[in-house]
Amino acid sequence: MKLRLFVIIGALSLFALSLLSELAGGDWGRFGGGLSNLVVFFTESMWPPDWSVLEARSYPVCQARLEITCSIGYIGMVETLKIAFVSTILGFLGAILLSPLAARNLQSVWVSIPVRVLLSAVRSLPSLIWAILFVIVIGFGPLSGVLAMTFYTIGYLGKLQYETFEGMNNGPIEAGRAMGLSSTAITTNIVIPENSNHLLSQLIFMFEYNVRHGTVIGIVGAGGIGYHINNYLKFLQYDKVFALLILIFVVVIVIDLISFFARSFVNEQGDVRRPTWLNLLLKGNVEKKAGKAAK
Amino acid sequence: MENNLLSLSRLVIGYDKPLSEPITLKVGPGEIVAVLGSSGIGKTTLLRTIANLVMPLSGTAKTHVDRVGGLGYIPQNLGLVRHGTVAHNVALGAGVRMKWSFSMYAERRERVLEALSAVGMEHKASEPVRRLSGGQKRRVATARTLAQRPKLILADEFLSELDDTNATAVMDAVFPLLMDGSSLIMVEHNEEHALKYATRIWELRDGCFNDLSAEAWKERRKGGDEP
Repeated sequence: MKLRLFVIIGALSLFALSLLSELAGGDWGRFGGGLSNLVVFFTESMWPPDWSVLEARSYPVCQARLEITCSIGYIGMVETLKIAFVSTILGFLGAILLSPLAARNLQSVWVSIPVRVLLSAVRSLPSLIWAILFVIVIGFGPLSGVLAMTFYTIGYLGKLQYETFEGMNNGPIEAGRAMGLSSTAITTNIVIPENSNHLLSQLIFMFEYNVRHGTVIGIVGAGGIGYHINNYLKFLQYDKVFALLILIFVVVIVIDLISFFARSFVNEQGDVRRPTWLNLLLKGNVEKKAGKAAK
Repeated sequence: MENNLLSLSRLVIGYDKPLSEPITLKVGPGEIVAVLGSSGIGKTTLLRTIANLVMPLSGTAKTHVDRVGGLGYIPQNLGLVRHGTVAHNVALGAGVRMKWSFSMYAERRERVLEALSAVGMEHKASEPVRRLSGGQKRRVATARTLAQRPKLILADEFLSELDDTNATAVMDAVFPLLMDGSSLIMVEHNEEHALKYATRIWELRDGCFNDLSAEAWKERRKGGDEP
């Protein structure tokens, strides 16, 4: 069994390498040259990051007590977080209405196939294209970003959700069906609570994805921190771009910690020991202390 | 008006190939049927076919009970919502036949507590099911069925993992339903449990199906015949 697995993985790796070689036109030397280009670009243009993006802008004059709240980094990030939050919640609501209709174990093929096609159609357009479409329809600004990411979230989250529903243990569904519960009651009282851990994880992942993607859709004028990144890119101010990228990275890490904490309410791990902010951040120290105490 | 709760007519169960000869029988009110047979012989498939979860290969399985709430099913893995509380799971059974009204919530809550105290689990009402032991989960699944008050109960090994005391307590909780005219069809691996409670035995063996009264089954055992 193990040997067969190794053979399959080896064959797939070889196939991928041959495709890569074909895509690179057989010129493997480009990889070596590319790396040195990256080092030069990074050391000369991006490093050190220019943290002036977190200083208050000269115009309009900052009225707030904390100057950082008037900075481009803060304003852009908050706008991106707002866009991501609204579009994730709206997208989740759209997806949770559609995904039970797409799950094969909950609906007949006559219902599930058309809904799957609809979700695939929504998902097949990347959020960038949705953003361009909405910028054309309703103009520049965060509203285009919200609509673009809401649509993409419905398609993406819808697929994750119906695959989760299809993978669940059928016992509770069968018990509900045998006792005569309606499809709606089975979905709301059995399927959604049973998969709450996965749904929560997917929701937070999608929020994180939308925060990261807010940078991309901002480039086409759909608001958020991406709008400012695009401006700096135009003026070749890569050190400022790098500072904003670090800011996004920090926000993504914080969202990951929130996800870990939130999911502990609906899984077995949380029943044993619910994580605290202290042991999330200082996990190593806490464990060392516990080890010493045990000795 | 059909007096029986279940009628099987030339029913052949199985997925791809038949697991039994054609079965024809009826089950009346108040009966306790134990389905016996070795592993993989088709006991669960028979139960699932009766519950209308699996299509029969041929013949029919008709339940003469209300489509909504008339049939209670406890699958082998119990079919509980693991991340839901004990009360949430039991409320699924309690609310299945209730029409919406302002008083519904109070009525449902009362029925949930009544069912939970019948199986001795009222102190765990707000606990998530995933934290319970195997035996406790079985009692919750039984409470869900009690709260539902179905006419026909299909239970797949719901007494396994329970010691004699708890098995007796669970059966004591189910008896009032049976006295009210409900019937119980249970798949059991533990023959002692089955013979202690059943009034009728269905045996599946090598594709053959035997339908015997519990007394006849015991006589066969006493007589040295391998049942």
